Amino acid sequence: MKKERSKKYRLLQILRILSQAAFFGLFLYLLFDTHFTGQDYIGRVEVFFHFDPLLALATSLAAKAVFASFVLAAITVVITFIAGRFVCGWACPLGAVQQFFSFIFKRAKLLNPKRVEWRSRLAWKYYILIFVLIGSVFSLDLVGFLDPLSFLYRSFITGIIPWFARISEAFIGLLYSFKVSSAGDALAQFFGALSLNQTFRQGFLLGLLFLGVALLNISKERFWCRYLCPAGALLGLFSRWNIGKVRIDEGKCIKCNLCTLHCQTQANPYPNEDWRSSECVYCYTCAAICPTSAVSFPVKAKPEKIESVDLSRRKLILTSLVSLVAVPFFRITPAGKRASAKLIRPPGALPEPQFLQKCVKCGECMKACPTNALQPALGEAGPEGIWTPVLVPRVGYCEYYCSLCTQVCPTGAIKELTVEEKTKVKIGTAWVNKSRCIPYVLGSPCIVCEEHCPTSPKAIKLVKTSVLLPDGTVETPVAPVIDLDLCIGCGICETKCPVVDDPAIYCTSVGESRSEKNRLLLEIIKPTLPRQ
Amino acid sequence: MDRRDFIKDLALASLAARFVPSLLGQAQNVPDLAVIQGESPALITREAMAALGGMKRFVAKGDKVMIKPNIGWDRTPELAACTNPEVVKTLVELCFEAGAKEVSVMDNSVNQAQRCYARSGIADAAKAAGARVPFVNPYRLKKMPLRGEWLRDWDVFTEFVETDKLINVPIAKHHNLSRLTLGFKNWLGAIGGPRNQLHQKINEGVVDLAAFFKPTLTVLDAYRILARNGPQGGRTSDVKLQKSVVAGVDAVAVDAVGASFFDLKPDDLPYLALAQKRGLGQMNLEKLTIEKRTV
Repeated sequence: MKKERSKKYRLLQILRILSQAAFFGLFLYLLFDTHFTGQDYIGRVEVFFHFDPLLALATSLAAKAVFASFVLAAITVVITFIAGRFVCGWACPLGAVQQFFSFIFKRAKLLNPKRVEWRSRLAWKYYILIFVLIGSVFSLDLVGFLDPLSFLYRSFITGIIPWFARISEAFIGLLYSFKVSSAGDALAQFFGALSLNQTFRQGFLLGLLFLGVALLNISKERFWCRYLCPAGALLGLFSRWNIGKVRIDEGKCIKCNLCTLHCQTQANPYPNEDWRSSECVYCYTCAAICPTSAVSFPVKAKPEKIESVDLSRRKLILTSLVSLVAVPFFRITPAGKRASAKLIRPPGALPEPQFLQKCVKCGECMKACPTNALQPALGEAGPEGIWTPVLVPRVGYCEYYCSLCTQVCPTGAIKELTVEEKTKVKIGTAWVNKSRCIPYVLGSPCIVCEEHCPTSPKAIKLVKTSVLLPDGTVETPVAPVIDLDLCIGCGICETKCPVVDDPAIYCTSVGESRSEKNRLLLEIIKPTLPRQ
Repeated sequence: MDRRDFIKDLALASLAARFVPSLLGQAQNVPDLAVIQGESPALITREAMAALGGMKRFVAKGDKVMIKPNIGWDRTPELAACTNPEVVKTLVELCFEAGAKEVSVMDNSVNQAQRCYARSGIADAAKAAGARVPFVNPYRLKKMPLRGEWLRDWDVFTEFVETDKLINVPIAKHHNLSRLTLGFKNWLGAIGGPRNQLHQKINEGVVDLAAFFKPTLTVLDAYRILARNGPQGGRTSDVKLQKSVVAGVDAVAVDAVGASFFDLKPDDLPYLALAQKRGLGQMNLEKLTIEKRTV
C-alpha cells in the first residue's frame, strides 16, 4: 500500500488558508476605510454584512420587512446548498480568527485534539439559532449579540482598534523620545489620517469578551464555530443536500483516526457513515492530513442522506419556550415608557421601536463617526438596546456636514441621508445650566458655545443679562440663550464647553425629529411667528 | 546752531531719509501696508506682496517657511469661514519663487481636521503649489514660556516656532466676543491645550499670543468676509464681498485696516490698544503709509 499524503488536498488546504487570509484582509481594509476619507460619501464598506443570511433572516423577521441590500445573502445560501459550508471555512473572517487561535494553541500544546469530543454540544448553536429567531418573530433583535459578523465588528471597533491605536501611540512616543522625529512625524500623520476612534465606554469589557472567545479555542478547536455560531447553524441546515461529501477509501484507510482527531469542526470524517455534512466547513484538513490519501471529497451529483446533529425534539420545544418566556423579560424596562434624556441617537435613526428591531449592534456607525461621539449604549435603551449607538456629547459631537453613520449602517436602522438632508435632522436639544455657566455665574464673557454652534442663524443667542456677584455688585455680560427651534442637538456646545467636569450646556433627546412623542411643543400649538 | 536751524536740518534730513533711498534702491521705500482690491484672490495677493517690495524681502534662499491660514471649520470657501485657498496657494508659490526650501501650511482645526482641510479647499490648493500640508501633530505640542502679561506658558505646536519664517494668513470674520477675528485671534489655531478658556480674557490672550509668535508677515484675506454669524457662518447671505487683501509686517496695523471692512474703527477692537501699548505695532492709520490699489 502506498503511504503518501495527498498533494491535491494539501494544495487545497493552502488555497483555503490564503482565501481566509484574503477575506480577513478585506474585512480589515473595509473596516479601516470606514471613516472620512476626503469625500462626503463612501462606498459600501459594510458589504460583508449583506452576505450574512442570519442577519438577513433575523432582521427581516424582526422588522417585518424585506431588505433589498440583503439580496447578497442569497449567494451564501446558494453556495451552501450546492457545496456545503464553504463560506464558514473559506470566507468568514471570524472563522479565520478562530482558526488562527486554534492553530496557535495547538502549536503551543495548549489545545489537545485528543480530548473527549462533546458530541451533544454541537447542538448548542442550533438552540441559539432558534432562540434568536423566535426573539426576532417578537421583534426582539437578539441577533446583534450573537451574529458572528456583528460580534467581530463590534469587538474590533470598540476594543481591538482602540487597543491598536494606543499601542501605536506609545510606539510613536517612543520614536520621539529616541529623537527619531522624522519617522515619528510620518507615523503620526499616517495614524492621524486613519482617524481611529480610541475612546469607548465598555471598550475594556467588549475587548475582554473577544479575548474570551479567542481563549475558548484552548478548549476545543474553532469553539465558536462548533458550538456557538447561530449563522453557522443556519448554514448547517442548508448544507445537508450538498454535492461534495467526504469519502474514505476503505482499501487505503489504516484506521489511524487522524482525520477525525484533527477535524476543525468535529464533522467526524471517520468512520465514513458518521460524518456530519452540516458541521463540515470544507477546510480539507482531514484529506490533507491522511497519511495514505484515503480521504477525498468527490463531487457527486446525487445527494445522499447522511447523519446530522441530533436535535432532540424535547430540547427544541424547550428552547422555543425559553425564548418565548425570555422576550418579555427584555421588555421590563422604563425605556419604552418614556424617552430617555441621554438616549441621543445618530441622525437618521428610525423611531426607537423600529430602530431596536433593525439595529444589529455591529458598531459600524461608531467606526465611521468622525468625533468618536457614538458610543455603545449601556442601559439607556433597555436590555435589548445594549451596545446600540448613543451620541455622548461629552466625548464628541455630531459633525454638521457629515452623514457617514447613516451610510454605513448595514440594516437601515439609521436611514441613509445625504449631507443636505442630515443638516435638517434634529437629534436633540441643548439646554443651558445657568448655575454653572460662566457668564451667568461669574459675570465674565465666554461665548464658546455660541461660537461653535453650526447652524445659521445660530441656535445659541447671546443676550445681555444681569448677574449678581458674591460681593453684591451687578455685572451685565452677554450670556447664551437657546432658540429651541433652531437647535439641532448636535452637541458641539456641550463638547466644547469650558466647564470641564459637568458642562454648563448639555443636550438631551427631547425634540428629536424621529419621535412623535419626545416633543417639547406640538407643532399645532407652536406660535407661528415669522422668522428672519 | 539755533533751534530754527536745527528744525530746518531735521526737516531736510527727514526729507532725505524719505526720498534718497528710493533713488538708491526700491527696497527701502516700501509702504507699511498694502491694501489691494481686485477680482482675482491670487492676483491681489501677488500685487500686495509686490507692493511690499516682493517676497524676497521676507523669505531668503533656503528658508523653511510656515504659513498659518485659518482652516478652523468644515466649510467651503464660499462661506468665508476659512482663509481663501487661492490666497494661501499664491503665498506658497511666492515663497518658493523667493527661494524657500520648504513651505508648510498648517492649522489646528476646530471641526475634524481632515474635513476642514478638504472642504476649505486649502489642502488641495497648497499641495498643488508644492507645500507640505500636515495636520497638527499632538506629539509636537510643547508647553512653552509665552512670557505674556496674562499667559505665562501654554501648549504650542512647535512647528510654528521652529521655522525660519512664519506668515499669518487670517480671514476677516465677525466674532461675537472679540467683535472681529482677524490676525491676532488667528493664533488660537497655533496652540493646543484648553483653548476655550482663553475666551474669558480674550483681548489679553490674543495679545500675549501675537507677541509670542511675532510673524514675519501678516496677509489678511478680505476677499470674502463673514459679516455675521461668525466665526463660521453657514449661509452665503452671511458673506460680503470685499475683494481685498491687506498685507504688512505690522500685525496691529493690518488688523486696524481689517476693521474698516466691517465699518468699524480700530478703537472698536480693544486688543489693538493693548497691543500698541506693548509695542507690537501702530493702530493709528494716519501714522502709516498705506498703498491702496485696485487691480
